[in-house]
Amino acid sequence: MFKSVVYKEWIKTKWFLIILTFIGLLAVGNIFLKVQHNIAFNDANKYWYLILFQNHHYFKSLKFVPLFIGLLIALVQYVPEIMDKRIKLTFHLPINENKILMMMLGYGFITLLASYALMFFAFVGLSNQVLPTEIVQATISSITPWFLAGFAAYFLVALVVLEAIWKYRIAYFVAASAFMLFYFESSIPGGYNLINLKLILLTIAISISLSFSAYRFRKGEM
Amino acid sequence: MKKISRYILVFIAILATSVALPKLYWLAFEKPISRPFIMYSSLEHDFMIQRHENKQFHRTDTKGNTYTRDEFEQKLPLFYVRQLLISGIMPDTINGRAMDTHEIGKARSSYRFKSSYMIAPTPGLYPLFESESGRANLEMPEDFFRITDRMEFVRASENIISEKKSQMFTTVLNNRGFDFPAAMIAGIPTTRKSCDEGYIVVDNSNQMFHIKMVEAEPYVAKVEVPDGLTFKFIACVDFSDKKYYSYLISSDNEVYILTQDEYELIKLPIEGFIPEKEELRIYGNLFNYTVISRGTSSLKVIALDKEYNKVDEYTESWTKLSDTKAGKAASFIFPVELNLSNLNSSFIDFYFERTKGFNWLILNLLLMIAHFFIIRKTGLKPTKNLIDFAVIAVTGIFGFLAVNIFQNKFFD
Repeated sequence: MFKSVVYKEWIKTKWFLIILTFIGLLAVGNIFLKVQHNIAFNDANKYWYLILFQNHHYFKSLKFVPLFIGLLIALVQYVPEIMDKRIKLTFHLPINENKILMMMLGYGFITLLASYALMFFAFVGLSNQVLPTEIVQATISSITPWFLAGFAAYFLVALVVLEAIWKYRIAYFVAASAFMLFYFESSIPGGYNLINLKLILLTIAISISLSFSAYRFRKGEM
Repeated sequence: MKKISRYILVFIAILATSVALPKLYWLAFEKPISRPFIMYSSLEHDFMIQRHENKQFHRTDTKGNTYTRDEFEQKLPLFYVRQLLISGIMPDTINGRAMDTHEIGKARSSYRFKSSYMIAPTPGLYPLFESESGRANLEMPEDFFRITDRMEFVRASENIISEKKSQMFTTVLNNRGFDFPAAMIAGIPTTRKSCDEGYIVVDNSNQMFHIKMVEAEPYVAKVEVPDGLTFKFIACVDFSDKKYYSYLISSDNEVYILTQDEYELIKLPIEGFIPEKEELRIYGNLFNYTVISRGTSSLKVIALDKEYNKVDEYTESWTKLSDTKAGKAASFIFPVELNLSNLNSSFIDFYFERTKGFNWLILNLLLMIAHFFIIRKTGLKPTKNLIDFAVIAVTGIFGFLAVNIFQNKFFD
């Protein structure tokens, strides 16, 4: 059963996943083309200085990329399920509906993780080539919430999409949007050091929120 | 699992609304609070106060005398020196001392401390300038240093360590008894300063050192710090009179200066300053220092003479934001306000501010009653919604919105 669910999800998402990951990697590549260009024109020491003391965020163009990927993957994965109420068929399978949904969510999470990991490690690897540990560490602290936002957006979009009643869907969307702002406060590099762990825990907590939708769904709110 | 997932969503919604709603509220109703500008007049030996109220400036001294703008500026000739020179009314002598613009300029200093400078991530890497390059302007060095288990210079062009230079500085620091790693590194990491005086560095054993580079060689001087005196913040300054290297804030909130060349720590008579919550400004001139420590609803101004003795003091307070009309109204709506940023910190975090008093309990109670009717209307049993009532009782409007967005409808 697990293989079948994964295969179904893979059919829905594979091209989006591949193309979005490719776009993500292009965004990372673009950042380092700019870094290389700036170093060539400004000298490395002056460029380091800009980052260390002038609040230059060389990585800022990455800000909404994970969010965009998370949103799109969730839409691609869950919108087809509510069209013609196809997910009802899934829930009639001889398996707990929560288990099925968790499988779908798990699939989405793992594929997103793989996509983000590629981007993240490409970014950190390239950063390490031209920048010192101190800058790379502060940068990791700054980009971590953006990747967490991608996961949170994925879980929350799933929640919104699977909700059947429009007024609640809108209410969920408003509450989720207000929460998503937590990941995008403007800050100096390293400014997210204190909150990152709390955001990780909150993002993990959100991951089980889909079972709320599943329950409403099964109880016939649709 | 289903119940847990609902309460997680309720919790997330409470967090989101407790940030968003107060933010929107203050955006709509916050009015600017006028804070006075106060400076010690070396001429009048009194504090001169300028307030901006009802879109008008009011200028007085502490005795209640009022002044026009021109009169006010003339009472503070060393602060408004340029204006008085342009107007041709700069006095020739003040307190029996002939006024020389070069001397006035040299003695002028201004420094501002904000809590967010202290509560902030540190860069960890710093440029060590050549202090005696023989050039008119300072130049950005090729490398940046860190002080971890040794003093290490990283060459930016290749992102590799300059081994020889690192060893040279580490050896000298070891010889001076430096205990690695550094606990604090303070300097002015910019080429836009009159000259370079390197860095004041506190080591792992709270010893203080002055480190700079003179003709490509390390210069390391140990600063004698009295036993038990430790510092939580050091700010290096670049003033024309070259009297001291830095302002230092000790662990027990005293403010010190570190004199140039003699490395003497002098305590300034500033009492009651809370660096975690207050801003500090220090203005110097030929005769006095004006030290202003300002909190959210009060300020204290101390005038010092040039030997750092207190000559006068003035305090003033104004209406707190929470005591304004909008603040009082807010106390009836929000039991707590959550912020992700804080004026006193450079870190993003969850900053909870509990509302003073218990006015919000009234609204919480009304919302509980409203929730009771909502539950009745949907045909559910109030006894099965006790947790929701508890959530509203504690978190008020935030909880009310949260439990109604993520309804308990299917859990009976």
